[in-house]
Amino acid sequence: MYKLLKRTRVWLSLLFLVLITLNFLFFANRETQFFFVLLKFQFVPSLLGAVTGSALVFIFLVILTLLFGRVYCSTICPLGTLQDIITKTGNLFKSKKSRRFKFDRPYNWLRYSILTIVGALFIFGITLPLAYLDPYSNYGRISSEILSRSEQLIHNGFSQIFPENVSFMNYSVFVAGSFIFALLFLLVIVILSAFRGRLYCNTICPVGSFLGLISKLSFFKPVVNNNCNHCMACVQKCKSQCIDVENQGVDETRCVACLNCMQACKRGAISYKFSWKRTILKRILKEDDIANLEKIDSKERRRAIIAIGLMGTALAARAVNFGPIPSAKPKITGIAPPGAQSIEHLKKNCTACHACIAACPNRIISPATNEYGLDGILLPVLSYKEQFCGYECNICTQVCPNGALVSMSVEEKQLCQIGKAKFSLESCIVYTDRTDCGACNEHCPTKAITMVPYRDYGLYIPKLNQNICIGCGGCEYICPATPVKAIIVYGNEVHDVAQKPSLDEQKKIKVDEFGF
Amino acid sequence: MERRNFLKTALLGGLAGVVQLKSNGLLARGGSISVAKENDLVAVMGGEPEVMYAKAIKAMGGMSRFVKKGQKVVVKPNIGWDKKPELGANTNPKLVAVIIKDCLSCGASEVIVFDHTCDEWQVCYKNSGIIEAAKTAGAKIGFAHDEKYYRDVQIPKGVRLKQAKIHESILDCDVWINVPVLKTHGGTKMTISMKNFMGIVWDRRFWHANNLQQCIADCSTITKMPALNIVDAYRIMTQNGPKGKTIEDVQLAKALFMSTDIVAVDTAAVKFFNQFREMKLEDVGHIGQAEKLKVGTTDVDKLTVERIKI
Repeated sequence: MYKLLKRTRVWLSLLFLVLITLNFLFFANRETQFFFVLLKFQFVPSLLGAVTGSALVFIFLVILTLLFGRVYCSTICPLGTLQDIITKTGNLFKSKKSRRFKFDRPYNWLRYSILTIVGALFIFGITLPLAYLDPYSNYGRISSEILSRSEQLIHNGFSQIFPENVSFMNYSVFVAGSFIFALLFLLVIVILSAFRGRLYCNTICPVGSFLGLISKLSFFKPVVNNNCNHCMACVQKCKSQCIDVENQGVDETRCVACLNCMQACKRGAISYKFSWKRTILKRILKEDDIANLEKIDSKERRRAIIAIGLMGTALAARAVNFGPIPSAKPKITGIAPPGAQSIEHLKKNCTACHACIAACPNRIISPATNEYGLDGILLPVLSYKEQFCGYECNICTQVCPNGALVSMSVEEKQLCQIGKAKFSLESCIVYTDRTDCGACNEHCPTKAITMVPYRDYGLYIPKLNQNICIGCGGCEYICPATPVKAIIVYGNEVHDVAQKPSLDEQKKIKVDEFGF
Repeated sequence: MERRNFLKTALLGGLAGVVQLKSNGLLARGGSISVAKENDLVAVMGGEPEVMYAKAIKAMGGMSRFVKKGQKVVVKPNIGWDKKPELGANTNPKLVAVIIKDCLSCGASEVIVFDHTCDEWQVCYKNSGIIEAAKTAGAKIGFAHDEKYYRDVQIPKGVRLKQAKIHESILDCDVWINVPVLKTHGGTKMTISMKNFMGIVWDRRFWHANNLQQCIADCSTITKMPALNIVDAYRIMTQNGPKGKTIEDVQLAKALFMSTDIVAVDTAAVKFFNQFREMKLEDVGHIGQAEKLKVGTTDVDKLTVERIKI
C-alpha cells in the first residue's frame, strides 16, 4: 500500500511542479491562466490571502498537516520537489555508499530562531524576511529568473531557425540583483540538497519549521514498531534524516511525509499510525520513562498549540491592520502594479514570487531595486521603458496568489489610477520644434490627453487632465522628446480611482455623396 | 470525435475556400476586359466591405493588373491597436481577407500580412480579428515587433527623413498593397494611406521628434511604393483617433477608396471625411508636402475617377 501511496505522492508532486512552472514560462502563460489557481495552494500565499479570500485553502493546508504531517512539504511545495530532483540527480554521481542518509540531530536553535524572527516581523506587517525565505516564492524567482531566461534563449534559437513561424522574443526585464539573488539561492539549494537532502526545509525554511510544529499534533504519524530489526534501510532513505532507529523514533517535526521509509522497510516496521497519544512508543519504554515522556509530550504539544495560536494572532493582527513599525519614510519612486492598492499594502502582502512579472504580456513589471526603498527590494515595480500597461489587460491582478495584487475586472482596472502623468511644456516637441507630434495623445487610452490649438501656428499641443489619467504609461513610453521626456508618469503611493472618461457622444451622420 | 469533426470541417472549409478563390479570380479577370480605360481612382459607397472591394477592384482593372503569377505579395493593414473590429481602430478584417484571397487567386506565391503595432503586438493581431481572417484566407503572418525585422533604406528625396529602417517583408516582396483605415489623428489630424507607412518602419519616435508631417511625406518618396492603396472607410473614426475610446467615436460610413496614387486617394478620403466632421485638406500637412515632393496629386478632378454607389 505504501508503495502505491509513495508513487502517487511522487507523481502528484511532479504534476504540481510542472504546472506551477508553466505559469512562469512565457510560451505557456497566455493559454494557461487556469493553472494560476494552483499558486493559491501554496502555504505562504494562502496564509497571506487568508484575509483576502483564500482562507479555505489555508484551513485545508493546516488540516492536511494536522492529519498526516508535512504533506505540503513533500507534495505541494515546488521547492521541495526541486530539492528531491536534485538529490536524485546528485545520486547519479555518487557511490552507492555515499548515497545513504544518516540520522542527524535537529538544529532546533537555528530553525526556531528563524521562525520566531520571521514570524514576529510578519505579525508586525513586515513580510520581506518571509518573502526571502518562503520556498514557493523562491521557486517562483528561480523559475522567472533562470528557467524563463533559458527558455528565452532556446526560443530565440528557434526563431533564428524558423524565422517565419517563431517570433523573436525581443526583450525581457533584467535586474541584476534579482537574478543574482535567485541564482545564489538556487546554488545554496543545490549544495544543501545534493549532500543533505531536505536540510533547507528542516533548518531554514520558516514554513517547514512551522508545519513541523503543527505536525506534533498530527493524528497520523510515522511510527516504528517492534518488528524493527535495526536494518537501517529506512534511515538510509530518509532525506529529512529524522529517523532515529536507536530510540525507535521518528522526529515528526522534520518528517516531510515522503513515505520513502515505509516503502523501503521490508518488515512493515515503520508505518502511519493513529497516534494522538504515543501509545506504541510508551509500550516499548520502561515504566519510569513514561511519566517523563508524558511531560515531554505535553510540553511539545503545548509548543505546537502555541504555534497555531500565534499564527491565529498574526492573521488577526494583520487583519486589523497592525501596521508596520514606524520608520524613516524612504523616498518612493516606483509605480506599483494595478491591484496593489498602495505601496504599503504591497509591502505587507507581496512575497516577490514574481508570478505577475512572468505573466505580464507587455513585460513591464520588474523586480524593484530601490524604487520602494530598502524594504521593497525584489517587489514588482512598473517600468515604461519598453512598453506600457495594456488597457484591456488585467492579468497581473489575476495571477497574484497572495492578494498582494487584488483581483480586478478589466473594467475596474481601467479606472484604477496607479499613477498620474505630468506634462512639462518646455520639453514638448510641439513647443521646442513647432511641429506636430501628438504621440502621447495617440497612445492615451482614456484621452486624459487631448490636443488643443497651440497659439496661432495651426499646431495642436497636448493638454492633460490628471483626473482621467490612470498612469498606464503609454504617453511616457512613446514620447519622443530627448533627453528628458515631456510627459512622465509618477506613481501614486495609494492607488486611486480615476474619473470615468467622457463618453463623447456624437450624432450619427449619414452621407450620400463622396464629397469630391 | 472532437478531432474528427474538426478535421472534417477544416477539410470542407479548405475545399470551399479553393472553389471560391477560383470563382473570384474569374470575376476579377472578367472585369478587366469590360473596362476599356483604366481608372486612376475608384470610390465606392453603400455596401459591405467585400462587395465594395469587388466593385472597386473590377473598376481598377482587376487585381491581376497589380499581382502577377508567382509574385510575393505583402498586404499591409493598420493593426495598431488592441481594439475589436467594431471600434474602427484597425483595418476591417473582412476587407483584409478578401484582398488576400484575390491576390492568391491571381497566382501570388505568398501573401504576408504584418504591422508594426503600437499596443503589444500579439493582442493587436488577435483582437483586431486580422490574424484569424488573414490565416483563414491563406496569408502568412509577419512579425514586426523587433528591430531585427527591419533593414536600413536611404531616402534621397526626403527633406527631413533621409533614411529609415523598413520592414524586410516590404523590401523583399514583389508587390505590396497598402490597406489603411480612415481615422482622425491627434498629431497629424488624419491617418490614411501615407500615415500607414509608420507601420512599416522601426523608429517612429524619430518621425514624431523631427517634423512628423514632413517625415510622413518623405517616406512616401521611397522607391518601393505600394502598387495599390485601398482605404477602408467602412467604419471611420471621427473623434479621439487614432486609438479611440468607445464605439461612440465611430461612424458607419460604408465607403472604400482605391488608387495607385497615394496622394490622390488620401485627398479623396479627407474630402469624404469632411462631410462627417470638418477637416481641411491643408490641415493634413503631409498630403500637401507629399504633393510638393511629386509623390502624387491632390487635384482629384484631373484624374480618371469612377464613383460607384451601391
